[in-house]
Amino acid sequence: MTRNSLSVADLEARALALRKRVVQMVGKIRVGYLQQGLGAADIFAAVYFGELRLREDDPDWPQRDRCLLSTAHNTALLYATFAERGLIDPALLERYTEDGSPLEVNASERLGTLVEATCGSLGQGLSVAVGMALSLRRKHLPSRVYVILGDGELQEGQVWEAALSAGGHGLGNLTMIIDRNDMQVEGHTDKVVRMDPIGAKFAAFGWNAVEIDGNSMAAVVEALGKARETADRPTVIVARTLAGAGVPFLEGQLRHVASITPEDATRAMDVLNGVAA
Amino acid sequence: MTETSIEGMGGFKDEKFYRQESLAARSYGRALLAAAKADTRIVCLGADLTQPTETYLFRDQIPERFFMLGIQEANMIGVAGGMARAGDIPFAHSFCVFITRRVYDQIAMQAAYPKLPVKLVGFIPGLATELGVSHQAIDDIALMRALPNMAVIEPSGPEQIGAALTAALDYDGPVYLRLSIARGRPDETAPLVPLELGKGLVVRQGADVAILACGSMVAEALAAAETLARRGLSATVANMASLKPFDAALAERLAREHRALITAENHSIIGGLGAAVAESLALAGVATNFAMIGVRDTFAEGGTTPYLMEKYGLAARHIAERAEALCGRAGAL
Repeated sequence: MTRNSLSVADLEARALALRKRVVQMVGKIRVGYLQQGLGAADIFAAVYFGELRLREDDPDWPQRDRCLLSTAHNTALLYATFAERGLIDPALLERYTEDGSPLEVNASERLGTLVEATCGSLGQGLSVAVGMALSLRRKHLPSRVYVILGDGELQEGQVWEAALSAGGHGLGNLTMIIDRNDMQVEGHTDKVVRMDPIGAKFAAFGWNAVEIDGNSMAAVVEALGKARETADRPTVIVARTLAGAGVPFLEGQLRHVASITPEDATRAMDVLNGVAA
Repeated sequence: MTETSIEGMGGFKDEKFYRQESLAARSYGRALLAAAKADTRIVCLGADLTQPTETYLFRDQIPERFFMLGIQEANMIGVAGGMARAGDIPFAHSFCVFITRRVYDQIAMQAAYPKLPVKLVGFIPGLATELGVSHQAIDDIALMRALPNMAVIEPSGPEQIGAALTAALDYDGPVYLRLSIARGRPDETAPLVPLELGKGLVVRQGADVAILACGSMVAEALAAAETLARRGLSATVANMASLKPFDAALAERLAREHRALITAENHSIIGGLGAAVAESLALAGVATNFAMIGVRDTFAEGGTTPYLMEKYGLAARHIAERAEALCGRAGAL
C-alpha cells in the first residue's frame, strides 16, 4: 500500500470500523482501554491506512516505515488496526488479553515485528524512535519513523532528553504524534502537571510543531503530509482528541481504564452502526 | 585528587597518548576501532566522556558511525535499542554506575527483553575512583546479572580486553562489559589472556585454597597467592571474567578440590561474583569453607584506590588473611 491512496472519506470509514472493533473487544472483556481507543481511532486510521508503507506479507521488510506506540496500552485500538490493515489474523482479536494470547494488555513484540519495540514503561518510545531514525538516515533508507505518545507520558524526563536529541540531529524522518486526550490514571493531565504549551516546548527544542484537532481526519492527514515535507527537522503533531469520540454517551469521560456493561456496549455499537440508540 | 588528575581519571589523554597506544588487543579503544573497521554494523554511542571511555579513536576515524548524545544516558539506551532494531550493533559508553543503575529499566525494556545486540560498556568498576559514592559502581554486576538475556563480562585487565570485546561481539544479545580506566601504557610483555563466555580460567594452580576473582581483583588474588606461598599455603587462582553466563562447573570442581574457597570482587558481596559462586555451590550440594571478599553491604567514600582497597578490605592481604583463617592457620584475621 502506498501513502495517500485513500481519501479522507475512506479513512473516516476505516476509523469507524476501528471504533466498532474497540467497542467489541473491550465490551467482551468489560473493562479496558475504551476511551482512548475511541479517541485515537482517527489518528491510527490516518497513520496505518494513509501513511505507513508496510508489506503485509513481509513484516521485516527493511525499507518499511516504522510506527511505535510508546504508551503500549491503547491496544484494543492497536490490534484492531493491525487486523483491519491485514497485518494479523482478525480471529486473534477474539483472544484479546486472554491468558496465552499474543495480544497482551500492553503490546509486546511477542506479536511480531509489527510491534516495533516493546514499550509501556512510559517515556521510552521516543528514544527508540530516535535511534531508528538515526540508523535509517545513516543508511540512506527512505523509511520514516512514527511514534505515538500519550500526553501524560510527557511528564517523563526521558521524553525531553530524546526531544533534545531528535531536534539536535535534525531528524526529518521522524514524526511524533501526541494523543492529547487529557487522561492519565490520576485524572485530568493538567490537574496533575500543567502541560501547555506543548507544541511551543518542542518548537523550542528544534522541532516543527503543529497542533490540530485529532478527531478531524482532514486535519490529521494534512499534518502528516506537512511532516513528510519537513525534511530538516522532526515534526510533532499535538493532536487534541476527545475521550470516547464517536459514541456521544461516552464522550468526554476521562477514565484511563473504563468498564462497560454489555448493555452499554450494545448501545455503543448501535450508535456506531447508525442505529438510533 | 592527584596533580595529574586528567590522566588519572580520564585514561589516555588525547594528544599526549595518541601515538603511544599499545596493541589493539590490550586497549579497549583500539580493540573497538579494529572491530568496527571489520564490521560496519558497529556504531559507537557516547554520553559525554569520549576520553575516559577510550572512544576518541572511533570518533576521529569513523565519525559517520559515532553518535555523541550528550549527558543523557537514559535516552542513549533507547537510541541504542532503536539502532539495534534497525540492524546496527551499538556500543554504548559511560561510567559503570551510569550505564547500569541509572538506566536499569531502559536496559531491561530496550535491550534485555528484546535480546538485542546492545553492548553496554562501563568504566570505573567498584571503588576505583577518587570522586566518591556517586561514581562507585558496587551493585552493577548484581543488577546486570539479574536481567534475563544479559551477559556480564569483567576482564582482568589489558591482557584480556581484546578477548573480552570479541566475546561481547560473538554473543548475539546484550552484554555488560565492565572495564577499568587505562592508567597508562599497557605492559606489552604480559601474555594475552583468552576469554570464553561461560568459562572461568585457572591462572594459577595450587592445592589448599582456591581464590575465584574477577576484574582487577585477579591481580590481588595472584598477589595473595604469592603471600600464601611464602607462608606455606598453596593457592589456586581462577579468573572468572564471564560473570554471566557463569562457569558453575568450575566453581564446583574447585570447591571439591580445595579445603577452602574464597571469592574476590571489586563490588558488593551481594549479587556479584561471590553470590554467583555461593548459588552454584548450594545448588550443586557442595559444602566448603567459604568466604567472600568484596564491599560488605555498605556505601564507600571518595579516596584513592589503594586507600579504599585497604579500608574496605579488598587488598591482597585481606584475601591472604581470609585464606589462612579458612584453612585454620594461626595468626589469621
